[in-house]
Order: sequence, then C-alpha cells, then structure tokens
Amino acid sequence: MSEETATGTATGTTTTPATPVDRQNNEMLAFAIGVAGWLVPGLGHALQKMWGRALWCFLTVAALVFLGVGMRGNVFSSEGGDAFGMLGYVADLGTGSFYFAARALETRGSDVAHAEGDYGTRFLAAAGVLNLLAALHAYEAARGRKA
Amino acid sequence: MIAAADFHLSHFQAMTLFALLISIAFGFLSRRRTSDRVKYIIWSLFLFLLIGVGIGWAMYPFSR
Repeated sequence: MSEETATGTATGTTTTPATPVDRQNNEMLAFAIGVAGWLVPGLGHALQKMWGRALWCFLTVAALVFLGVGMRGNVFSSEGGDAFGMLGYVADLGTGSFYFAARALETRGSDVAHAEGDYGTRFLAAAGVLNLLAALHAYEAARGRKA
Repeated sequence: MIAAADFHLSHFQAMTLFALLISIAFGFLSRRRTSDRVKYIIWSLFLFLLIGVGIGWAMYPFSR
C-alpha cells in the first residue's frame, strides 16, 4: 500500500500525504491480509493479486502437510505437556486451516518409532513455519515494504 | 472417514522432496521475475542436496 493517496483535481492528478487515519486503515488491512494468509495458505497473496505466489504457497504447504500425514508424522495438540510439544504445536498451528485437515486425515495416529514418521513430523512443522513466513511476506507486501 | 494415503519414502526421497518443495516456496517468495525464480530454485535445491548428503557423509564414521 502506498504511503500517499492519489487525488484527482481539475488540472490533473496530484498526490497528497496519507493522513494518520489512512495509515491506520492500511495497517489494519495489512494485518487482515496477514491473518488471511495464515488461515488459508496463499490467500494473503491472492488478495493482493499475486497469483503465482498464492498458488505455489498453497501447493507447497498442502503437499508438505499431505506428505507429513501420509508418512504418519506427529500432529501435535495443545496438550503436548513439555516445551518441545508446545513448540511443535505452535509450528503445526502455523499451517492455519490445514492443521485441522491434518488432524482429520491422520486417523491412525502418528508412528514416530520409524524414520518415516520422524520425517513426517518435520514435514508438518516445516509446512507451518513456511506458511507463517508466507503470511508475514503477504503482510509486509500489503504495507508496501516488499513486492 | 477420510484417511491420508500411506507414503513409504527412503531417506533420500524424503530429503529430495522436502528440498524441492521448500526451494519452490522460497523461490516464489523471494524473487519476482520467472528467470530469477528458476535460477534460485535450482541453486537452492542443489545446495540443500549437497549439504544434506555432505552432513550424511560426515556422520558416517559415527554411525556404527
């Protein structure tokens, strides 16, 4: 979002500095875009018409979650108990709505006794962290700091 | 009840898939032009694999 707003006049188009209210509205909009990007991977970019980024954010996060669950990785819950469980929960929650999809898909539970399950846990955590990064990127883009 | 498909991947397959997906996401997030994105994805994938295999070899003497 631009720091200045364009206004039309009889002699042509001029720019005027953004008012504090405009800046606050832009900040709120950017925050909403960031939250949307967290809830649905790629939505933050889609709302700004960054179609390529939106599509690939969605596809990569979805693939990581689907593979992680298919490899029987651990989908952490809020009742993790220890610090690592809580960190895993925060990372998994980073996938937004996909966290609930992962919990629904993993009907047989995790199997971290084997290397595959351990890899699956990493895939799920990476999906969450990647989506948080993408949401932060969408937020920064909405504020005009990145493109 | 919907259940996810079972995936049975080797260590190398899992590492390659992980590296590919992360490289694609990073490439699209950090670069704007298509040619820059392709270069970034290929370079990032290569480094992921090189460092992954390198660490694997470095750990080999301690694996038994």
